[in-house]
Amino acid sequence: MDFELPSEHRMIRDTVREFCDEEIEPIAWDIEEEHRFPEEVFDALADLDMMGVPVSEEYGGLGGDQLMYALVTEELGRVSGSIGLSYAAHTSLATKPIEMFGTDAQKERWLEPLATGEYLGAWALTEPSSGSDASDMDTMAEKEGDEYVIDGTKQFITNASVAGSILVKAVTDPGAGYDGISTFIVDPEEDDGFEVVTEWEKMGLNASPTCEIKFTDCRIPEDRLLGEEGEGWTQTMKTLNGGRISIAALSVGLGQGAFEAAKSYATEREQFGKPISKFDAVRDMVVEMDRKIERSRLLTHKSATQYDDGEDVTHSSALAKYDASETAREVAEDAVQVLGGYGYTTDFAPQRFYRDAKLMEIGEGTSEIQRLVIGRQLGL
Amino acid sequence: MKILVTVKEVAEAEDDFEIDGLDIDERYLEYDLNEWDDYAVEEAVTIAEDGDDVEVVSVTIGPERAEETVRMALAKGVDRAIRVWDDDLESADMLDVGTKADILAAVVEEEDPDLVFSGVQANDDGFGATGVALAEVVDMEWGAVVNDLDLDAEGGVAHVHRELEGGVEELTDIELPAVLTIQTGINEPRYASLRGIRQAQRKPLDVQGLGDLGLDASVLESAVSRTAMFEPESESDVTVFEGGAEEEAGQLADLLRDKGVVEG
Repeated sequence: MDFELPSEHRMIRDTVREFCDEEIEPIAWDIEEEHRFPEEVFDALADLDMMGVPVSEEYGGLGGDQLMYALVTEELGRVSGSIGLSYAAHTSLATKPIEMFGTDAQKERWLEPLATGEYLGAWALTEPSSGSDASDMDTMAEKEGDEYVIDGTKQFITNASVAGSILVKAVTDPGAGYDGISTFIVDPEEDDGFEVVTEWEKMGLNASPTCEIKFTDCRIPEDRLLGEEGEGWTQTMKTLNGGRISIAALSVGLGQGAFEAAKSYATEREQFGKPISKFDAVRDMVVEMDRKIERSRLLTHKSATQYDDGEDVTHSSALAKYDASETAREVAEDAVQVLGGYGYTTDFAPQRFYRDAKLMEIGEGTSEIQRLVIGRQLGL
Repeated sequence: MKILVTVKEVAEAEDDFEIDGLDIDERYLEYDLNEWDDYAVEEAVTIAEDGDDVEVVSVTIGPERAEETVRMALAKGVDRAIRVWDDDLESADMLDVGTKADILAAVVEEEDPDLVFSGVQANDDGFGATGVALAEVVDMEWGAVVNDLDLDAEGGVAHVHRELEGGVEELTDIELPAVLTIQTGINEPRYASLRGIRQAQRKPLDVQGLGDLGLDASVLESAVSRTAMFEPESESDVTVFEGGAEEEAGQLADLLRDKGVVEG
């Protein structure tokens, strides 16, 4: 058991941290306030080879492992939840499935531009009336000649309004339940019958677009089917195993960012003649932050390492995601408290981490669903 | 053409630290590439990218820990690196400018570069002398505190701007081979790309001891030794002037007279 990161991973983490501190942190609040998707940041991330970290070099990726990807995601989360979320959705949900399940031709056409960061990707599973019960979907894809025709609405789709490709889950065989779901690659620029209906105003994460999208008689060629018909649900489960690790990593980053803000404030702010960190009440809050973050990070790194070793990570990734998302919210809430009145103002970062962290307990499987997954893994 | 860039891993102390004997307690130190050297690396790598057949070699004197730092230079485009270290260096109390210049001179003899870049100074001990001392030992032309460089590789001349005191700049031509000490601001150092970092793991990084360079422990002998380490006491005081511009000017004048800044 080696808890030391490999040197290559450390160098990558340090470089990404430096980039985040210099280039992202100074604008993190502005883009949130302006509700602006920072395209220029993603161009810079592409220049640094960050958009396809866990994708093979053959298709323009970095050829890194899940642990390396988790480290990069954590660093992004440490400065900006919005950028971290768009990044994680792009990589885990929109890019990795094409590498895992696509044909060579599909990889060449659809994987490469994602992995090199030419554009961002999205994936569309959730619907207005189908959230935790994700397989109970209404979006249909009917085969007509050499085309599929997609009809339906997808809800809370990260990046949909800025994406170059969207992986859409739709029912191809209504009687077959889990086995009746398939995945399609939709080109939001070129395909007719696709429309972004809404970009949601949210409690936080407003620099990361969250959309309602609608397919009306959207006709796509049959070579846009990812894998085989009926494999959509199995693919979803595999995809979410990796996705949970990325949300765990992002959550650890949010917690870390909030913790650092609280720690530095507590050592500088003086009351009753000494730094407030010298008072047990405040010190204990900061200590608890450290404990929770370290626990969540260890779970995340363990799950990422298991993923890289080819082990099943259903259990460990659910534990990591569940634990880290709660850590992020709790730490961010306490960070607001440590900063007191200042913590409640938008001049200071903790409130932003607090609002961003809440989504981590909801997206890519709520905490309730994570407990369901873990319970099943325990045979309960 | 070959450019040798000397780089150093420097210690940075946290804001609050404790002193342990003749040094800052290790617990409060973090290590990173010297800021000036980052600009020197960037300058060399840019010349290599813009020119034909330019090899950039980096050299550092430092323990195994420094390997990550020198690999960062490799990640930014340096072709290969040399790290000088052995047990004798490990047991030395300190390496003074003369020692470093002698060691780096041995590397220069071995590599025979057309240009040597070093940072103006290191931001830990800050002697600011190694580059020029090296030029003296290897008998090369030199230019210190270079903040603009226009290299004429074919003509064998470096047209440089040197930063002098008081915002004055000297424009001068330096014949190659030469040692230039690079000032911050001469360029904008890049971030290493992640692919660059991955490739850097496979680039050659040679470790050489004093013996490999034809030197022995006598190079470590030094007339300089560290005798004490202390934090200088500093005082700060604030005076707030209030009133109209004329009144404030009067108050400032009084203060300057009181403090002895101006007479009368």
